[in-house]
Amino acid sequence: MRDETKAPTRRQLLGAGLGTWAAVGTGSWVLRPSWANAQTGPIKIGIATDITGAIAYAGNSCWQTAQMVAEEINAAGGIAGRPIQLHLEDTASNETTAVANVRRLIQRERVDLVIGGITSSMRQAIKDPIVTRGRTLYIYPQLYEGQECTPFLFNTGPTPAQQCDEFIPWLVKQGAKRFCLPSANYVWPRLLNRYARKVIEANGGEVVFEEYYPIDQIEYSSTVARIMNDRVDCVFNTVIPPGVGPFFKQLHTAGFLGRGGRLACVYYDENMLNVNRPEEMEGLATCLDYFQALDDSFSKELLAKYNARWPGSQYRFVAGSAATGVWRAMKLYEQAVIATKGDTARQTVAAAFDKASIPNGPGGGAEMVPGKYHAKMNMYIAVAKAGNYQLQQRYEMVDPKEC
Amino acid sequence: MLLLNLAFDLLSFTAIMVLVVLGLGIVASMMGVFNFAHGEFVLLGAFTVWVAERNGFPSWAGMLAAPFIVAAIGWLLERTVVHRFYASPVVGMLGTYAIGLVLREVVRGLTGGQFHTVGEPVGGSFDLLGLTVPAWRSVVILVTLAVVLGAWLLLARTTLGLQVRAALENPALARASGISTTRLYAATFAFGAGLAGLAGALVVPLFSLFADLGLRFLVQGFLSVMLGGVGSFEGPVLGSAAIGMLSAGLPWVVPPILADVLVFVLALVVIKLRPQGFIHRKGA
Repeated sequence: MRDETKAPTRRQLLGAGLGTWAAVGTGSWVLRPSWANAQTGPIKIGIATDITGAIAYAGNSCWQTAQMVAEEINAAGGIAGRPIQLHLEDTASNETTAVANVRRLIQRERVDLVIGGITSSMRQAIKDPIVTRGRTLYIYPQLYEGQECTPFLFNTGPTPAQQCDEFIPWLVKQGAKRFCLPSANYVWPRLLNRYARKVIEANGGEVVFEEYYPIDQIEYSSTVARIMNDRVDCVFNTVIPPGVGPFFKQLHTAGFLGRGGRLACVYYDENMLNVNRPEEMEGLATCLDYFQALDDSFSKELLAKYNARWPGSQYRFVAGSAATGVWRAMKLYEQAVIATKGDTARQTVAAAFDKASIPNGPGGGAEMVPGKYHAKMNMYIAVAKAGNYQLQQRYEMVDPKEC
Repeated sequence: MLLLNLAFDLLSFTAIMVLVVLGLGIVASMMGVFNFAHGEFVLLGAFTVWVAERNGFPSWAGMLAAPFIVAAIGWLLERTVVHRFYASPVVGMLGTYAIGLVLREVVRGLTGGQFHTVGEPVGGSFDLLGLTVPAWRSVVILVTLAVVLGAWLLLARTTLGLQVRAALENPALARASGISTTRLYAATFAFGAGLAGLAGALVVPLFSLFADLGLRFLVQGFLSVMLGGVGSFEGPVLGSAAIGMLSAGLPWVVPPILADVLVFVLALVVIKLRPQGFIHRKGA
């Protein structure tokens, strides 16, 4: 006789199923090309980005960008006759989860390249499993603090030199003399500030104070009082969300903008325009590799293509989300593999990638600086006016000055 | 002048903390349930205002609706899920945490994981004694005073409040006296949720809407309740006032990163010396 008490109930089965689903996650995903090259197979690119978690808005735009580029390349016949196959893994804004998921890309899928990681802590966590133990090529697409000079790890986002060398002299020329550097307490602001301070002082400006806050601090009254009392005229901000919204609001209410103060913030892109009311960030200046307001025909068409491919998507094609860095990474890799005639062996591709360049892209072309693991690219200064960015300056092929 | 400025900023953040923690404290004190989804009820209040604003309603309309909508959600959750946890507080913490997680991720999906600004019905600032006073922060202080007073009157001075306290003290005897503890618990939980919704609706113009808004207050909220003591109305209010005061005041005198840690160290020292909290009632 069957022992009824030991048989799992439907509810238990359902629970177990859901539990397994939750444990394995929904992050693994493969985008297969519609055709294949029978002899050599597809080129496998792993995308490891934050599909869930606090910065999912950025990770999803990276993933959408990667899909769009892969589809375009495949429709045009692939790279040297081989199509691209994308493998997505969720880094989930959690380094422990990320390392396990990225290992899957390396060990099970044996991808030829990993693109991804948005925060610096994520890059630090996954670079060793990819580059050292995994012996795989890795491209990091986000603007960051610099100083990443690991062989087989290429960077396609802007560095402190690219974001400060032109920007800070411009701020000084606009009348900023007394700077303050309020910052979230982690590695990017600390290293960026070290660079920014040098540029500020070299250009005749003065750093009144440099102060660090817990990453999730949302009350800035003491900072605002200090800014107002010390007659700071430019707040070079690296406080990040969630703190930056209340911080700018408190500054505005205290009359900082009213007395002619200037906000400057080098990670501010179109997504950040929603964090505050337009009047609370009027005149905010930022310096990035791309803005949606750019009017060169390639950038305009690219944005139109992205919006047509992902109609109504809440994940936008913007620089601060690393979407432009992902676009550049895919296209530079395409050039590298064309140069190797379809060979994706790490040593060979890395040598070709080191010299790769693309004539066009979001904001303009890009060119790897040989032996330096970073790319030259155009940089733009924009200022927030009534809730939108207005372009102020364009700088051609700015040097990353790294390594 | 700087002192006046400091005083207002302290008062303002203290009011915010008290408002956010009030519902948590009431549910913890009156029902013995630590509601780990409290932060997400705050988030739902904020979310309601944003949704209202996006659909063309003024933000004050959303603020009026938020406490009732969140109270209704709280009531529903109590009747379907939370009431099963009363027998075992640890399971209750895990269970409410899970509820919070679901609510948070749903809101994250609906907001695209982005930050969204929400307008204050009364914006800008006014001059008082030569001091620039932010208007909305002043409103939050006044509303907090009114809500604390109202909640205290309700729980300490009305028959309903007496029944709630009786149901906490001795549920069996309360039931024997003809009080429906089931309904009272549901009502108390909904009341706590409604207060959280109100708090979220009022503070969202200051902090913007984002999925982790409630999470931000969760740890400080629990510390406040621990510090103030579970089992009374006044305890959590005093506890949250102390935490709010410390959080806003310490960065004026020590580096902010140190201040963040110092708040916790000070609170833990107090809890060590006085484990029952500031105020302790027998029977809790």
